[in-house]
Amino acid sequence: MSTVLSTGLIQVTNACKACDHCTSICPTGAIHGRLGQKHTINSQKCINCGQCLINCPFGAIVDRPTLDIVKQALNDPDKFVVVQEAPAVRVALGEEFGLAPGTNVKGKMYAALRKLGFDQVYDTEFSADLTIMEEGTELIHRIFNAVGVEGFEHTGPLPQFTSCCPAWVKYAEDKFPHVLPHISSAKSPQQMFGAVAKTYAAQKLAVDPADMFVVSVMPCTAKKYECDRPEFISSGFKDVDVVITTRELAQFIKDVGIDFLSLPDEKADRLVGSSTGAATIFGVTGGVMEAALRTAYEILSEETLEKVEFTAVRGLQPVREASVNIPVKALGKTVPVNVCVVTGLKYVDAVIEDVLAGRSKYHFIEVMNCHGGCINGGGQPIRRDLY
Amino acid sequence: MSFFKEKSVFTRRQFVKGSGMLVAAAVLTGVFAKFGFDAFAASDDYIEKRIAGMYSLDESMAIRKSHENPEIIQIYKEYLSPGEVKPVSEKAHHLLHTRYGKDIPDLMEHLKHDPTEAA
Repeated sequence: MSTVLSTGLIQVTNACKACDHCTSICPTGAIHGRLGQKHTINSQKCINCGQCLINCPFGAIVDRPTLDIVKQALNDPDKFVVVQEAPAVRVALGEEFGLAPGTNVKGKMYAALRKLGFDQVYDTEFSADLTIMEEGTELIHRIFNAVGVEGFEHTGPLPQFTSCCPAWVKYAEDKFPHVLPHISSAKSPQQMFGAVAKTYAAQKLAVDPADMFVVSVMPCTAKKYECDRPEFISSGFKDVDVVITTRELAQFIKDVGIDFLSLPDEKADRLVGSSTGAATIFGVTGGVMEAALRTAYEILSEETLEKVEFTAVRGLQPVREASVNIPVKALGKTVPVNVCVVTGLKYVDAVIEDVLAGRSKYHFIEVMNCHGGCINGGGQPIRRDLY
Repeated sequence: MSFFKEKSVFTRRQFVKGSGMLVAAAVLTGVFAKFGFDAFAASDDYIEKRIAGMYSLDESMAIRKSHENPEIIQIYKEYLSPGEVKPVSEKAHHLLHTRYGKDIPDLMEHLKHDPTEAA
């Protein structure tokens, strides 16, 4: 059962040459149309990942534009507009201004957002750290429950899946409803940010949360769908008002005529804007896992990690696994934690089937839809130079 | 006897033409496949550069573990679990956790009848 609205977020335009390339990329088989016939997208099946969009050789697939909503909010003197940017945006935004892929433009990005008129420039990396605290603690509780520690009976089953990727969450809801208890109940960093911005930050800044307008800059088209899901109202308001993609931010900067490359490097505003390296790597496949391991290891062992890198979970292999021995001080013994990282939903079915059949040896599984992680998301700059 | 007489479906000229077309088709398939593989290899190249950008940014950060972020410690101590750093506190659960699939209507009912005291 699909409980979420079908949005038609991703559409095929009349520029479609019916080359069939997109149907080979779509992870859910949502694109219909034979070779030589204009294609259409079944929005019920579509998980809004936008991989077809960034890979279409003719630029014939588009996402629903939202930039005008942001411009309107910034022009409204009654609105207090705050902005958050996902980790993956800062290493790709520069490509729209002629820089090489992977160039870090974090400081210029903050400066540009201030120039565009946002009242506070925060960072999704803050709430990525918050996600690690909540999701990591939830994992520890599930492991304690599994080894029979009392007081954790109400936690969910193992293994625990990550919940950051909205394309993955919709895929699981549509195709594998029995796996949902395994998905971490922690919201994604984007939605956590919206919830704390309109409560904690509004209180601290003495702003009426009804006047606060939360904008996200995301490397992802599925985040546009996520922020519109009806259950994300725990602040008492719509937690995140609108999402624009990395491409739309670049468009905005060009529309206003800001000379991006000559901007100074600035910093994010404090309160809910500072971040760590663990939050930065959320944008890469394996990054959420590595960030969680850094925190879970130190909290469980009560020791300081000498080497913070867990390189075993890095790489571009679609399915990677690792085992980490954590000396758990509270239990007085070493517990091996088996982890798995999946990038690309076409590889996740086998992993899920093992979990549902009770054959899975894993404790924690990270799933991201896009090859390589959010840095290759459907909202990132399109590399037309490839064709 | 006509049984032993050599008969051919093709003329010699047709056979040469046909073979030539087959060879050309095979070569062109190879060329296009090569083009396709190159496009794929190039696409991995920019992905790897963006990934390398993320990892070098991680290495340049002064703090590299989430639980050491001072603003994270502050939000727990001042707001989510007053006086201590305790994730999955009642307030954290209300603001930072969700439910999926068929559990969503229940969650929304709960959110509507139990408006956050923070607002």
